[in-house]
Amino acid sequence: MNRTYDVVIAGGGVIGASCAYQLSKRKNLKIALIDAKRPGNATRASAGGLWAIGESVGLGCGVIFFRMMSAQHKRQAQGAAVVVDASTPHILPQSFFDFALQSNALYPQLHRELIERHGMDFKFERTGLKYVIYDDEDQLYAEHIVAQIPHLAEQVRWLDREALRQAEPAVSHQARGALEFLCDHQVSPFRLADAYMEAARQNGVDLFHNTNVTAVLHQGSRVSGVQTAEEGTFHCQTLINAAGAWAADLSEQATGLRIPVSPVKGQIILTERMPKLLNGCITTSDCYMAQKDNGEILIGSTTEDKGFDVSNTFPEINGLVQGAIRCIPELAQINLKRTWAGLRPGSPDELPILGPVPEVSGYLNACGHFRTGILTSAITGVMIDKVLHEEPSPVDITPFLAERFHSGAVDKVQASLT
Amino acid sequence: MSLRPVIVGGGSAGMAAAIELAHHGVPSVLFDEASRPGGVVYRGPLRAGVDLGYLGARYSKALNTLHKEFAACAGHIDLRLNSRVVGGDEQCLMVLDGEERLHQIDYSQLVLSAGCHERNVPFPGWTLPGVLLLGGLQLQIKSGVVKPLGSTVIAGTGPLLPLVACQLHAAGAKVVGVYEACAFGKIAKESLALLNKPQLFLDGLSMLGYMKLNGIPMYYGWGVVEARGEGELAEVVVAPYDNNWQPDHSRAQREPAQTLAVGYGFIPRTQLSQQLGLEHGFSDDGYLRAKSNVWQQSSQQHIHLAGDMGGIRGGEAAMLTGRIAAVSILLQREVLNAEQAIELREQYLGQLAAIKRFRAGVERYTQRGTRQIELPQADTVICRCEHVTRADIDLALEQGVEDMAGLKMRTRVSMGDCQGRMCVGYCSDRLREATGRVDVGWLRPRFPVDPIPFSAFQQPGTEA
Repeated sequence: MNRTYDVVIAGGGVIGASCAYQLSKRKNLKIALIDAKRPGNATRASAGGLWAIGESVGLGCGVIFFRMMSAQHKRQAQGAAVVVDASTPHILPQSFFDFALQSNALYPQLHRELIERHGMDFKFERTGLKYVIYDDEDQLYAEHIVAQIPHLAEQVRWLDREALRQAEPAVSHQARGALEFLCDHQVSPFRLADAYMEAARQNGVDLFHNTNVTAVLHQGSRVSGVQTAEEGTFHCQTLINAAGAWAADLSEQATGLRIPVSPVKGQIILTERMPKLLNGCITTSDCYMAQKDNGEILIGSTTEDKGFDVSNTFPEINGLVQGAIRCIPELAQINLKRTWAGLRPGSPDELPILGPVPEVSGYLNACGHFRTGILTSAITGVMIDKVLHEEPSPVDITPFLAERFHSGAVDKVQASLT
Repeated sequence: MSLRPVIVGGGSAGMAAAIELAHHGVPSVLFDEASRPGGVVYRGPLRAGVDLGYLGARYSKALNTLHKEFAACAGHIDLRLNSRVVGGDEQCLMVLDGEERLHQIDYSQLVLSAGCHERNVPFPGWTLPGVLLLGGLQLQIKSGVVKPLGSTVIAGTGPLLPLVACQLHAAGAKVVGVYEACAFGKIAKESLALLNKPQLFLDGLSMLGYMKLNGIPMYYGWGVVEARGEGELAEVVVAPYDNNWQPDHSRAQREPAQTLAVGYGFIPRTQLSQQLGLEHGFSDDGYLRAKSNVWQQSSQQHIHLAGDMGGIRGGEAAMLTGRIAAVSILLQREVLNAEQAIELREQYLGQLAAIKRFRAGVERYTQRGTRQIELPQADTVICRCEHVTRADIDLALEQGVEDMAGLKMRTRVSMGDCQGRMCVGYCSDRLREATGRVDVGWLRPRFPVDPIPFSAFQQPGTEA
């Protein structure tokens, strides 16, 4: 079977869905979204935090990631040249701050728009994000963060022991305070993806679920379509790679180059429904916690290099459970309802990979969003729409181009991480 | 190989497997979530001093025989009651004990004999207090705990209907009507198949005689369409079903009742077999079940399926498949050689053959009509955990949702505590009808299979 579209989007996670939605708004393009349902969809294993500052300064699953890396380095490289100090926060570059903060600012309007025009509510909630401080090490970590972001001073608030107890009575009395990021909020992650997807469908996008891309078609140096296992051939002017943890394979098929995207496993646990226990989102150096609109508390997340494995493993689940009880002692009395795992599309410098690649036309990357795909899905959709229509992007796309991995600058970034 | 075989589920299949292993000197560990072994068929009364005479002499005899034989093997069976298996993989299980502590149990061979659960059929009023599942009601009678007050209506299909009607009446409850969805002619056609188990066939006839004698009316080709009442059940609306179970609402009748027992069949439990990563397929009636071979081995040789988990055939067949699973384990552990094992297996398979022919007849006449999925109205709740109504599902289908995962994301069906045990049947029926495909995906059950307290996690013990 042969189909012809202007745009084919490969990937139905939050990024592919956001691109589909933004592109569909102009109603000038014929668009198909192709999704292969594979175990490990990161969108569905997300906490749904819109932690623009928190993620940029390495909190959320970043702090857990960073602590894990530093512990690994201490173990593996005793006496080696580079020793990562866990007390130093892992701050992402300014370009990421701009990208994340601009994306974050889109949500209130996007929330209204999707409800009013499409009847889809992704449960946007203004919660703030509190980094709970137990000891000197945490305190030092928080102070480093604040020192690094003087321009965001208005969005940051220190809570002492008393203020934390008032703001979050359920948090352990062992905590001596918290650092709060006022503009960091939350959504329901799977509802967000679903809202983009249904809105795109209402705008005329054709959705092909459970469809696997088997090959990319070319005409000279131009990508001209994809072959699928279930639905035949799709011809297109532009192919958008939003394949999440599977993006490297598609990139290789389309451009001959493998972009450095690899799966980073995250396990997550969920409580039964509870009366309101948390007033806002919480992160510690053990885990993060977000009570969702229906009362369930999501607790995440591990950061593991296990390929495409999505099994739940007892020691890691236990680690999250103990971290959660340490912060919210009441949790010991309640039930764990479910655990699962997702595969973050990790990139070496933790920045997404967006836009065109040199010498190949008809192809755009929209992948490598690692641990911030929910937060940055909004701006990613907008940027891809602008790039495709050759209009100015609201955020400079240069730092996010795949080219960065093929120039000298990248080696430096990678060296600082490995 | 120092690890003991582990059996999950102490019903007739699990008990028989443990007994067979014990007879050959092989000790096993047997987990059951109840406070007594026996499963739903043979658990017996939960408190002392209850006379189960009303369940009939043959039932009491079978109950005593099984428990006596099991007791004689006690030295070889490490029985762990009040224990729930909440997860696992191909090498170990995670078990929550009676004190709500979590344990990791390593195993060499495994028998999964966790049984089945009842099929939920949503219709307007099905969530009213007073509306029960038939097997659940029977279990209350069997455990000697409680019996229904007032008038009881039984609706559903299959041989359990008259059996429970007789047991209820004998226990002193008032049964005002039994509504079998299948037409009488269809059952009569299966007489030959049903005669494969002459005793069961005769039991069936004598039950019908008992009902006639005691004025319990039996209606063939009728089914439930609605339950009504303010805060609790007050009346049941029944109507004639055609061959596809399309009710004729113009001939609907109202029957005052305080209890409605609904029994439209059983489906194998797959939460654990899916979590262990075993291969599954769809049975003829559209439900998922783990695959097993002639040795009761799953797609992983050392993991066996016994009893209703591998296909619904009732207690007697469950014991035979439990024994076959045990024989396979005895062969794997080299307690028996191939020749001995095959001889034993063939002996059990021979006994199983007649039951299979009998069950095939039952399955044909109790085959589900497809139109029952139209019973719920727009505001009828389908997913009880998340309060998802039929209208929510209709909208999602109109919006092009075409698989279980998509329906789950769109409507939250199955995201509650029961992980979809209640609603997955209805949802997959609707998806199959909307898409015209047989495979619309199934729910992937997550660890833990049942909710467990956070406190259960502290310092988990590992044992072999």
